[in-house]
Amino acid sequence: MTSYLSYFKLKFKTGLQYRAAALAGISTQIFFGIVYISVYVAFYNSGSGSLPMPIDELVSYLWLNQAFFALIYMWYKDKDILNLIKKGNIAYELCRPQDIYSMWTSKILGERISNLTLRCFPVLLFASFLPNAFRLDLSISPERFLIFLVTLVLSAFLMVFLILLYHIICLFTLDEKGIVNIFMVVTDILSGLVIPIPFFPEFLQNISNILPFRYISDFPFRLYVGNISIQEGLIGIIIQIIWIVIILLLGRLLMKIALKKTVVQGG
Amino acid sequence: MSLYFKYFKVHLKSELQYKISFILSFISQFFVFFGYYFTVLCLFDNFSNIKGFTLYEVLLTFGIIQTGFSFCETFFRGIDKFDDLIIDGSFDRLLLRPRNILLQVFCQETSFIKLSRLIQSLIILGIAVINIDVVWTIEKIITLLFMIISSILIFLSIFILAAAYCFITVKGLEVRNVFTDGGKHMAQYPIGIFQKGFVFFFTYIIPFGFVNYYPLLYILGIKNNPIYIISPLVTVIYIIPCIIIFYLGMKKYTSAGS
Repeated sequence: MTSYLSYFKLKFKTGLQYRAAALAGISTQIFFGIVYISVYVAFYNSGSGSLPMPIDELVSYLWLNQAFFALIYMWYKDKDILNLIKKGNIAYELCRPQDIYSMWTSKILGERISNLTLRCFPVLLFASFLPNAFRLDLSISPERFLIFLVTLVLSAFLMVFLILLYHIICLFTLDEKGIVNIFMVVTDILSGLVIPIPFFPEFLQNISNILPFRYISDFPFRLYVGNISIQEGLIGIIIQIIWIVIILLLGRLLMKIALKKTVVQGG
Repeated sequence: MSLYFKYFKVHLKSELQYKISFILSFISQFFVFFGYYFTVLCLFDNFSNIKGFTLYEVLLTFGIIQTGFSFCETFFRGIDKFDDLIIDGSFDRLLLRPRNILLQVFCQETSFIKLSRLIQSLIILGIAVINIDVVWTIEKIITLLFMIISSILIFLSIFILAAAYCFITVKGLEVRNVFTDGGKHMAQYPIGIFQKGFVFFFTYIIPFGFVNYYPLLYILGIKNNPIYIISPLVTVIYIIPCIIIFYLGMKKYTSAGS
């Protein structure tokens, strides 16, 4: 256990070194936040059609998406792991007296959390001081906030296990560009990162409600802004845990099969 | 020009060597691109217009901007990945050759997989042109062609400018995404829908407004002054200082690799 923790710490500390990259990330996130919100505000001001979400909830939702972007985006390819797979260095990993799945989990988690630590607070702070129409609403009841924190932690695990699953698929395809790309894009769309799920057409809403992807970002953030009630939130947490277990088991199973017939690439 | 086509052939041949990988990547690009217009379609599923612009009018601007961007990504990929050239020192090799340096940089890479995006952009542009509520006169068709050309030029200018920036910073910074991806994202919609500050920035500092907003007003018949027909050509003037800055930066260049 301690060895996995040190993998996490290692990646976490390495991530903290890239401060210039973080600064660039923050400004990108803030810029995109303002652009996205501008588009929605323009739509809302045009005053036509039905409103899937009240504007203030929507603005807060969009800001949360930007602030926690480092945690929730699924278009993520771990260069180290992919290199291991493609160049055959996975042989070394297999020699270690450790469980590869846990090792990779702690590495990815470490990197993502350190990125999040550097980026999330400045964006949140900036967004909460903007003029009214663009402001992130930070006032929230304590119990809702508590449930939000729980869902956020669970969504971090869901994210990392899903990403790991995609990397394990690379063990079969030996390429991250084809089918894995498709998985990642579809996940990004169905998790509500591209556009909030209430804006989806009816049938797609139904599909995304069944699938696990919305529990990465759509569910915790809509819970935060008050679009989802606390009761629903508690039920959601149980569903989140069920999905985490399913994806964890699926990933481990696939990895077992893959490693049994691993062909080490290169020499 | 013949030099560019020679490189072009070589790149095409090498990419086609890996057939299955090529086809899969091509298909996956289709999905990536789908994510872009999915947003527009979803929003117009809920709303009928954005500040008076309807779905097909927005799809027209979307198509023009995406066509320009994916054209640059496909055929001028080398300039987009310019920091790689500087970091590993291959730029020195290019400097030694007696050919135009920018042309050589363009030739470094051609991404045929991104062709998938270009095709989709053109399809969307086509759908918009057919369905939009406009009588297509010769002047309007010329305006449309100017818009497409200027869209290619503006992204090329930004790429060149970002490349020039690499001479100073060596590593390309994520900030440039604000201007390429961010600019692209904004300019998918008619610039006029945004707040004044944005409109000013994207009209006078990076002239996206001249690519898709002012000419659009002419096509839609909102403005009738013929000067709007040639307004996209502002980008032709815009690219000149970008190229000059690139060459100025090159003078300061000191090699980073071996």
